[in-house]
Amino acid sequence: MGMKYRRYLAGERIYGCSKCKTHLATIHSMISRAFNGQHGRAYLFEGVVNVVEGEPSDRLMTTGNHTVRDIYCVKCATILGWKYDRAYEASQRYKEGKYILERNLLVDVQ
Amino acid sequence: MHVSPSDQSSGPSVSIDSASEAGPSSLLLDKLGRSNGLTNGNSFTASMTNGSTKCSLMGNGVPKHSSIARVSLPGTTLYEDPHVDREEFVRLVIQSLRDVGYTESAATLEVESGYSLEAPEVSEFRQYILSAEWQKAEAVLPRLVADDDSLWEALFLIGKQKYLELLEARKITAALQVLRERLAPLSANSSEQLHALSSLIMCSDAQELRRRALWDGASAASRKALLTDLQEFIPSATMIPQRRFATLLTQARHYQRERCTYHNAPMNPTSFSLFCDHYCDKEDFPRVTTTILHAHTDEVWNVAWSHNGLRLASASKDKTAIIWRIAPDSHPRDRECVVEFILRDHPYPVGALAWSLDDSILLTSADNLILLWDTKSGKCIATLDSHMETVSVLMWLPDGSGFMSASLDRKVVTWEASGKQVDEWPGVPIRVTDMAVTPDMKRLVVIGMDYQPTGPSSEGLPPWGVTRESPPASGIAAGSNAPSSSENCIVIYDFKTKAAEQSITTEGELTSVKISGDSRFALVNHAPDAIHLVDLNDGHMARKFTGQRQRQHVIRSCFGGVDGNFVVSGSEDRNVYVWHRDTGVLLEVLSGHGNGSVNCVAWNPQNERMFASCSDDCTVRIWEPLPLPSETSVSVPPSITDVTMNGKGKGRVYSSWDDGSADGEAQS
Repeated sequence: MGMKYRRYLAGERIYGCSKCKTHLATIHSMISRAFNGQHGRAYLFEGVVNVVEGEPSDRLMTTGNHTVRDIYCVKCATILGWKYDRAYEASQRYKEGKYILERNLLVDVQ
Repeated sequence: MHVSPSDQSSGPSVSIDSASEAGPSSLLLDKLGRSNGLTNGNSFTASMTNGSTKCSLMGNGVPKHSSIARVSLPGTTLYEDPHVDREEFVRLVIQSLRDVGYTESAATLEVESGYSLEAPEVSEFRQYILSAEWQKAEAVLPRLVADDDSLWEALFLIGKQKYLELLEARKITAALQVLRERLAPLSANSSEQLHALSSLIMCSDAQELRRRALWDGASAASRKALLTDLQEFIPSATMIPQRRFATLLTQARHYQRERCTYHNAPMNPTSFSLFCDHYCDKEDFPRVTTTILHAHTDEVWNVAWSHNGLRLASASKDKTAIIWRIAPDSHPRDRECVVEFILRDHPYPVGALAWSLDDSILLTSADNLILLWDTKSGKCIATLDSHMETVSVLMWLPDGSGFMSASLDRKVVTWEASGKQVDEWPGVPIRVTDMAVTPDMKRLVVIGMDYQPTGPSSEGLPPWGVTRESPPASGIAAGSNAPSSSENCIVIYDFKTKAAEQSITTEGELTSVKISGDSRFALVNHAPDAIHLVDLNDGHMARKFTGQRQRQHVIRSCFGGVDGNFVVSGSEDRNVYVWHRDTGVLLEVLSGHGNGSVNCVAWNPQNERMFASCSDDCTVRIWEPLPLPSETSVSVPPSITDVTMNGKGKGRVYSSWDDGSADGEAQS
């Protein structure tokens, strides 16, 4: 929907897409490293930039049922992780609106 | 001034003495009397003006026109309206008549009205100046000026002309004498000017003198220019400024033009008649879609007309650019608009477009790449990959020397037309989102984001390597919103020296910049929801255009119409917005595009009655005035109904003129 330039982040440590180096998130917005994705270790972020969100779908995860959307790199369209729309378990609600990026799909960029 | 008001008793009617002696003037008057003053078409004026000019200039004309009675009128005003003084008006008419050569009529009017254009000494003074009879001119001057100060100033100007003419004629001794005896005493309190004048003695020839004195010589217009300068010190009632009536009419024309909100007609006698106020019909304004160009399969982000106005390039998210041929037929029904080339081979969506001055090369950008296309064959000539990040703008230089590119990688690069890099601008402090050069090539205006002022310590370092303070964690907003700490900036450069003249930081994102035809103003799209007209001389915002919606996308605007009278912009609400440039009044909100943003608009450089817009709805629309009703089918309903397409993607005329208006929506 309309043309947008990619965002550029500033800070000590910037995570980018491993394929095309597009800026995605900074270490300041990281909430947790204790997540697992399809490719191993994954990080939970407060906010990410330069991603396209896919359609919502319900997925059963180790911590219960969630409504999530896959997130794609805006430049190279690689699937980088997902966004939590809704957590069915009350204890997992803190993840709603937050983003998972898979560590193996990230590189440090500056 | 009055001419011997002897005949005060005669009534307000013209009485012509039929027993007057024969002669040119009475011939004219005879005819005048018989034809009830209808002088149009009289063929004998030209032959009569010679010889009588001097007579009417030098004298009051009374003796020669004794056959004409003076008309005595009550009051001093022209009509009941107290604002127009009759004497002033009549004297301007006399001046105008003389200027065009109707000298007999002018003389007659002087007699009949009792007013004369000017006192004899004024005519003499003018003649003395033009024939360089300086002493005589200086002798008359005290009777013309209002006070002593004016007299000194006027004498100085005359002395200066005399001095320059003597110098030009290489009469150095005489010139020095004028300098010493005339100019020096007169310029007691401006020794600087005297010094400058005396230094002119060093000029080796007349040509150098004229160049250094900014003076065009005795034989050129300098004496006339001197008269204009002297006007300042002589009351205008004594010596009426030259062509005063024409000056007033010009002012009236400018006034009417300013009040004409839909003004889109060139300044000529056809569109400006003295008999009625000028007015451009709203129906002649391009506010109707006459053609829809279908062929892109995704959002269209940019459009650009070729310089000859016959081709249009469009750039799309579908990773192609298209060159459309827009045939020159004046009626949209007959006009063919077809795809000439689809420029594929872009690995990413296409962002920027730029036609070379001769329209033979089209530049496109796809992410960090620049592509050069031959517009005759549709073949890619070269791909340039020296930018590290998205190339946001491509621009040919007005002098034809090559083109420039700018990118989010903070680089502004100059290229030869062949694609060879010439140089790179040092220390650009922003990620560039758009730039434009002024038509006079004096300034470059660059807009962008993530402003990093480069202090003296970082000079010489690539701006890329300058580290920035970490923003607070809250600086990273959720989702895809921008970090709120990022600063946006307009940088105005001196084009020749590449030195930054001004940096104007702003809160909102800047997405588009265009320069006015006079090189004075920059039109900048500014999120949220505003377009600023920035005065490049002082960096201040001269005007703000609002109404359109711009929050997060790249929305572009442009000037358009005759003299760039309009500002037009895309918007995130599907509409095209049009404002009057000088008042900021919103004139039109044009609907028609489908869902999403109207991303870019472009006015046809050859046709002030046509512009194009492109949208997320995958189409480009051509906007024009409503075609003449007799030539269109009126039965077409007001929606997209008649769009016929072939495999090549061909747009056809359709009708939507009754859903595209914004009547009553104009805001001030």
